[in-house]
Amino acid sequence: MKRLLASAAYRIAFAASLGFALAVLGIGAMSYIAVHNAFSTQLDETIDEGVTALMDEGFEGIPALAESIDQRERMVGNSLDYAVFDPHGRRVAGNLETPMPAAGWSRIEFTDPEEGLDPARAKTTMLPNGYRLVVAADLEPVEAIDQRLLIVFCLGFVAALVIGSGIAFILGGYLKKRLTQVETVASAFAGGDRMARAEVTGRGDEFDRSAAALNAMLDRIAALVANLKQVTSDLAHDMRTPLARLRSELEALHRAQGPEREAMIGNALDRTDDILALFGAILRIAELEEGELRKHFAPVALGPLVADLADMHVALAEDSGRVLEEAVCKDCRVVGDRELISQAVINLIENAVRHTPDRAHILIGARDEGDTCRVFVSDNGPGIAEDDRDRVTERFVRLDSARSSAGHGLGLSLVKAIAEAHGGRLELRDRAPGLDASLIFPKEPT
Amino acid sequence: MRILLAEDEPDTAAYVARGLGEAGHNPVLAQDGKDALHLGLTEDFDLMILDRMMPGLDGIEVLRRLRAGGIDAPAIMLTALGRIEDRVTGLDAGADDYLVKPFAFSELIARVNAIARRAAPQQAVTHFTAGPLELDLLSREVRRDGKPILLQPKEFRLLEELMRNAGEYVTRTMLLERVWDFHFDPQTKIVETHISRLRGKLNEGGREDWIETARGVGYRIRTA
Repeated sequence: MKRLLASAAYRIAFAASLGFALAVLGIGAMSYIAVHNAFSTQLDETIDEGVTALMDEGFEGIPALAESIDQRERMVGNSLDYAVFDPHGRRVAGNLETPMPAAGWSRIEFTDPEEGLDPARAKTTMLPNGYRLVVAADLEPVEAIDQRLLIVFCLGFVAALVIGSGIAFILGGYLKKRLTQVETVASAFAGGDRMARAEVTGRGDEFDRSAAALNAMLDRIAALVANLKQVTSDLAHDMRTPLARLRSELEALHRAQGPEREAMIGNALDRTDDILALFGAILRIAELEEGELRKHFAPVALGPLVADLADMHVALAEDSGRVLEEAVCKDCRVVGDRELISQAVINLIENAVRHTPDRAHILIGARDEGDTCRVFVSDNGPGIAEDDRDRVTERFVRLDSARSSAGHGLGLSLVKAIAEAHGGRLELRDRAPGLDASLIFPKEPT
Repeated sequence: MRILLAEDEPDTAAYVARGLGEAGHNPVLAQDGKDALHLGLTEDFDLMILDRMMPGLDGIEVLRRLRAGGIDAPAIMLTALGRIEDRVTGLDAGADDYLVKPFAFSELIARVNAIARRAAPQQAVTHFTAGPLELDLLSREVRRDGKPILLQPKEFRLLEELMRNAGEYVTRTMLLERVWDFHFDPQTKIVETHISRLRGKLNEGGREDWIETARGVGYRIRTA
């Protein structure tokens, strides 16, 4: 029992059934009192009526009273017993065998010719010359009803206790089973079983809902853990190459002399800058994903900003043999960070320049699309295969075709993180041929 | 210049102090925030370099208290984090510039020099000259040997920054911050491209190049 009570499910179930049984007991007690009082009152009324009936005939001496009493006692259906006592306490009339009671209402005991001593309710009225008239009614029927009521309600109480305990066992067991399941799943998950999930019965009850919520949480945690693992191993992998190169460059410095040495130091510094840039990008993405930056957001006019960024890169694209064109930059205002948006757009331009062949055309522009503003950077290069389009925005993903070129595989992840920090998204579409990379931002509320 | 250097990390502190000394400055080292606050309030400095993360009082708090105490010497904040959030709080606390660790020493010295130049008493200069080059902010004109040269607005701003700091190196990061107002590294060659266009226009006809490039440091315009 102690073990059962240690469980909240059982405690609640038992408390509920005990409460139910106590309610049955309470109702029983109240009914008992009410019924008992009703019967007692009725008995008193019968006795009063008997007294009144005798008195109404007028008092014409003891013998006449005795005669009347005798008549009544012999009547069929008579439920009252009578006695008349003289001033010395001797019974002079009536069949009620009892010692003389005091005046008024009292409980007496009389000798029943068949059953022996019996309790009765009596009213004693003073008559002239010290005589007393006692009218009494047997209490046995009332007591029999009282007893029966007591038995019924006691049985009811016991039954309520037994049935309640039964229900408590079943309910407690059920609650416990379903709650334990959550516990088991959580411990299994904590213990390293990333596949552990709570069972959803399909009934749609609150247990199902909490199990579904738990599962959703576990899915999210599992995804985050997987992502973290992936990022950690990718990071380790991506860092190894530049670090290994840096190491060999530093080692070679031992032997180098003169201008060659200077050039090698320059290379080594460039290499460290690459590594630092990689870390910078990782930190920037993490900061964006925290969502704390929002509080610095302000209205940004996208049209002039994009036009500016396009101007800025015309020469750069030209130097690398691409043609960068500025499409119409319709003004469209968003709430955000000018620098972050610039960074995202520059990354897209950079990608377009890097992943297109010579003489490719790159088109940049901004458009007002009703509820949203679109900034697009499109090219007529090879584009990205449909299967890869989602993958390229993941951290450190570099398609095999781009392995040889520079870059740390974080560019598009950063762009995506910037778009999402602004409540927008990055859309990659096929232009057949070429790629259209668009940033879609919600418009500034007016 | 007398420079207050508050840095709790001994290696970095020694490295920066030595570098500043070699560049002809007089660095005074504070090893924690309390020390820095005390020195800052009791002695005169031309410049303060404060590490953001120090035991006890952090750099932001030190600067806030110094500014509240009426100390208006220019300050450079050093931060290890490089978060946008940190830059904003640093500038809010009254920093004039900030630098993310790890940084190239050349970057720090370029900024120290730029701040020193800005702090030196000067009239609002609107006309700059360096060798044969002239730049006028009011007429927005650039001339070489008296002949006007047409520049794009960004190229003009670029030349302006170089001429303001004539003789001193201006780093790529500083140019990104001042000309483009970018506090991030766009990882593209926009500075290089614009410098090369600027050079092309200034040196048209194979004339002598007055802009010097120092690899890993930045650019400067020669004065002679």
